[in-house]
Amino acid sequence: MEVRKGHRKRINYSVFIMAMLGVIFLVVFCYMPMLGIIIGFKDMDYAMNISRALGTSKFVGFQNFKAFLNDPDFKAIMTNTIGLNVLQLIISFPVPIIFALLLNELSFERLKKIVQSVTYFPYFISWVVFGGILIGLLSPEGGAVNQVLRSLHIIAEPIAFTSKPEYFWGIVIVSAIIKGLGWGAVIYIAAIAGIDPSLYDAARIDGAGRFQKTVYVTIPCITGTIVVMLLLAVSGLLSSNFDQIFVLQNPLNISKSEVLDTYIYKIGVAQRRYSFTTAVGLFKSIISLILISLGNFISNKLLGRGLY
Amino acid sequence: MKKKIEPFEVIVSIFMILISLICIFPFIYVLAGSLNEGMDYMRGGIYFFPRKLSFDNYRMVFNDKRLLIGIKNTCLRTVIGTVTGTYFTALVAYGMSRKDLIFRKQIYWFNIFTMFFGGGMIPTYLVFSKLHLINSFLVYIIPSLYSVFNMIIFSNFYNEIPEEIHEAGAIDGASEWQIFYKLYLPSSGPVLATIALWIGVFHWNSFFDSMVYTSNSNLQTLQLFLVKLIKEASMAEGEAATKVPAQVVRTTSITTIRYAAIVINMLPVLFVFPFVQKYLSKGVIIGAVKG
Repeated sequence: MEVRKGHRKRINYSVFIMAMLGVIFLVVFCYMPMLGIIIGFKDMDYAMNISRALGTSKFVGFQNFKAFLNDPDFKAIMTNTIGLNVLQLIISFPVPIIFALLLNELSFERLKKIVQSVTYFPYFISWVVFGGILIGLLSPEGGAVNQVLRSLHIIAEPIAFTSKPEYFWGIVIVSAIIKGLGWGAVIYIAAIAGIDPSLYDAARIDGAGRFQKTVYVTIPCITGTIVVMLLLAVSGLLSSNFDQIFVLQNPLNISKSEVLDTYIYKIGVAQRRYSFTTAVGLFKSIISLILISLGNFISNKLLGRGLY
Repeated sequence: MKKKIEPFEVIVSIFMILISLICIFPFIYVLAGSLNEGMDYMRGGIYFFPRKLSFDNYRMVFNDKRLLIGIKNTCLRTVIGTVTGTYFTALVAYGMSRKDLIFRKQIYWFNIFTMFFGGGMIPTYLVFSKLHLINSFLVYIIPSLYSVFNMIIFSNFYNEIPEEIHEAGAIDGASEWQIFYKLYLPSSGPVLATIALWIGVFHWNSFFDSMVYTSNSNLQTLQLFLVKLIKEASMAEGEAATKVPAQVVRTTSITTIRYAAIVINMLPVLFVFPFVQKYLSKGVIIGAVKG
């Protein structure tokens, strides 16, 4: 609401205070850490006391950023992070959409409700639990997956899936689909439910079948939602599901499982390279910010709507 | 309306039932494993039901002091964190939803920006340490008091409430605080339930804060205990199980003990879920109306 000069409206102090509570929270927990980005331009690695080192350490410019770009692990980490995310964008992103479209075709309401409830249960279970079960399922000692594969004579010897780097991406992608499928579809189901029924009636009068109704009515009507979800997915190109990867990660699969988020945790907490960690984090944040702005800009230009 | 059952629909139905089974199977599997004798489990073949019923795995895991500490801390943070977080976010959202809020647009952007940019782990740690939140139980409560995403969902809901209700309150001489507390909060049942459940699940499931911001073992959460149990076990597996943990008695195995801990961890969610599941998705639908 704009405040016009001259005949100024009475300021509603109560609602201002309420909104300011949120602002104060954000200043302390989001904007103050943003000031702390300065740590990335200093030399504070391995400091015993970060607060004190903030005052005493000297500026080193972009040295930490250069160190990251020249790090021997840089290529592997970026390949894992981007590779896994691009694959998820191609494979996992359409799954909830297809699921929602198929669910929409069911006319038996009871089944629809049950399927929906059951499929979004795993989303609310922590990745620690889900990952723990997954490790058990894939274990070479008594794990169900190995047992079934062996009884079907697909494999001769049990495979230690979680200790072999080559299986890691597959495990991450498949498990994320199973866990997120039902919940991911909720937003599309809501969008489909919001479609004007008269559009379907019109399509039916025009002689459209089930498939044509989906292609010419449902999908165009939910394109906006799909674009928004796609934008969010693209802006997360450098972000991974930390909980998931951290739980499934072990020293034997590290060559395929180290992504930017787990790397940041490792260098920051285990190795205490504070400045280096902050620089890597900033590198990630800035690229994400550019991606979301760019995506939003393109979407606004092409579709006339974006995230904001 | 035609009532004829088409083959297409039958195929889709079967497919959907199959997907549902895949989603639910891991939980049945872990429950069956946790109730089976550990050594017997290693022979394999336990998928749906235990073969040799035994509660030893649960006995073993309850022997671990860390489990009880974890349960206590996780329950506490879930209850306190959910109540305070929901209330605080609802209050701010009410303020944000009022059209006569001064600088509304600017404040809104101030909020949105934090969704897309942050300082990162080390600067956050520094702020927490200045506020004496490190190694304090409050680190579980205060930093998660407010969430911009949840605030937007609340605001969208408040915007849908007819303005007449607010006017009626104002005419009766109620202050904004009273209008929020007496009129808006009671009428926001479904959205309140949704957000409270999301926050509750977040608290129940999170382990990162416990792992990074606390080193005191008395502050460890249930999830972090499980992380440690799983990580220890998965490493032992990779190293061809050279170190057998000393506490393993003859009939139990680390795998089945781990399963018991997993079941204890997911049981509350499993029990609460059927009763609250319809509320869980309400917020998304409310948010989607605008989004």
